[in-house]
Amino acid sequence: MGIREILGRLARAAPIPVFPVAGADAIEAVRDLRLRPEIELVATPRHASILLVAGDFGVNPIPGLALVHDQMPLPRVTVHWNDKSLGDVHGHVVGGDEADLVEALSALDREILTAPDGSEPPILPDVDLVDWRGVGPYGHGGKGMTGGTPFGRPLAERAPDRDGLELDQLPITIGPWVGALPPGLQVAVKFQGDVIQEIEVVSAFGPTRPDDVFAAALHTPTPVAILELERARRHLRWLADALRFHGLPALGLWALRLAHDLSPQDQTEVEDLLRSVRRSWVIKMVLSRIDGGFDDRSMRAGLGPLTRAAGLEDDARMDDPAYQALDFQPILGRLGDPAGWWRQRMAEIIQSLDISSRAGDMTAFGVGSVEGPRGRLQADNPGTSTPLELLPGLLTGLEWGDAAAVVWSLDIDPFASMAADLPVGVES
Amino acid sequence: MPLGSALVVFLAAVLAAGVVRWVGDVLNPLTLTVPERVPFAGGAPPDYHAWNRFHIRWYTMALLFLAFDMEMVFMYPWAVVFVREGLISLVEMLMFILILVVGIVYTWRERGFEWA
Repeated sequence: MGIREILGRLARAAPIPVFPVAGADAIEAVRDLRLRPEIELVATPRHASILLVAGDFGVNPIPGLALVHDQMPLPRVTVHWNDKSLGDVHGHVVGGDEADLVEALSALDREILTAPDGSEPPILPDVDLVDWRGVGPYGHGGKGMTGGTPFGRPLAERAPDRDGLELDQLPITIGPWVGALPPGLQVAVKFQGDVIQEIEVVSAFGPTRPDDVFAAALHTPTPVAILELERARRHLRWLADALRFHGLPALGLWALRLAHDLSPQDQTEVEDLLRSVRRSWVIKMVLSRIDGGFDDRSMRAGLGPLTRAAGLEDDARMDDPAYQALDFQPILGRLGDPAGWWRQRMAEIIQSLDISSRAGDMTAFGVGSVEGPRGRLQADNPGTSTPLELLPGLLTGLEWGDAAAVVWSLDIDPFASMAADLPVGVES
Repeated sequence: MPLGSALVVFLAAVLAAGVVRWVGDVLNPLTLTVPERVPFAGGAPPDYHAWNRFHIRWYTMALLFLAFDMEMVFMYPWAVVFVREGLISLVEMLMFILILVVGIVYTWRERGFEWA
């Protein structure tokens, strides 16, 4: 038996390494794939053998994904799952539900491992932008540290740093499919070392708005129990993602499993989970690093848990007769910093489960506005509540790791945020 | 070391390095393509080359080096004294290290180890 066969057998016995790229309407479905033992969602294309393109991007995502595709090692294959993107599709198309997808992925994985000829060729040419050549007669020397523009890419620009020195400032575009940021979020950052000097949010794909029970509640009377259960579920999903980002995948999987099958009777288990999170030294240490200066900047009405964490009594539920009948009082924090945002959402998970268990068949009427899990939704602009615009102010001056921790603490949905200015019922 | 022995060690090192390279090539005969060599940043190609100069805070690093280097300098003569004095010198050295640890904890609290 050759070494290839041995490695092939081992690879077939392992979970299928999949690099996911999810559109707005598929983020939750792709996240739930973590609960499937047959699949491992990996952090970079270099770890993957299957590129999974799922959901709606508003535009054809493949041109932007060519580099991601070609960065996967051989053998590789692309799978489109319920992909509504425009233009030609590169790879295999799979419809149906999660079970159909897992079956198709397993079959394709076996196929490319046993017959690597089925692997996809590269999309991009295997050539450098330009040869690396300086200005000297032997390709040496030139302007800057090493001379010339290596492989067609200029060297970092110089800019003043915080010590008054003139040092390199490296611009990098990060995202939209990188594990350090929520899926879909792309930022243009200028680094000195790993300190962010400038940061700007770039919208990578066209705006789309996912179906949302809270947006629907603006126009349709909706049972309070359903709204609150969904709110708790959304916060648990945020918790699952944030825990995973901080290197606590087991706790994250627990949160995700609870979110998947959540009912008001799960309150005890949810409390157990939240107790474990509060006791985690990793979370304590990470969040204690990022302190100071956050309360003033995030203290803005309409941002839901972020606003209430800063102590502002801002909650559309207070105006709803159904919630008034349930003696609803918003939970208020003392400080709007990342640790405060975590505490606020975790407290609101328990509060929502409690309301959900007491609400019976009471119905919320959405009197002009509805309190969504990320803030206030209004009838004329159901995506207004976006913390995206806060990012430059919050992240400038932080180290990259701290900045990513702040981003995950904010609970950003880039797709919903990009859709903020669209009128109701209009999607691009 | 005689010249012959040094030569044998040198040749053995060269041979070992060659064997490691050969095994690596056998296990992974593929070479990376240009797109595979590009650093992964989430899908966007890099506009700038990654080589850049940044301030690594030499001053802090030099101070910390001095602190830890002096600690080690004091520990060499202490090892001789320890043989003669026994437990009492161990306690004294622990007190010395404890004082240094307090300094390290203080530096850590003041974020002195963050050099970015």
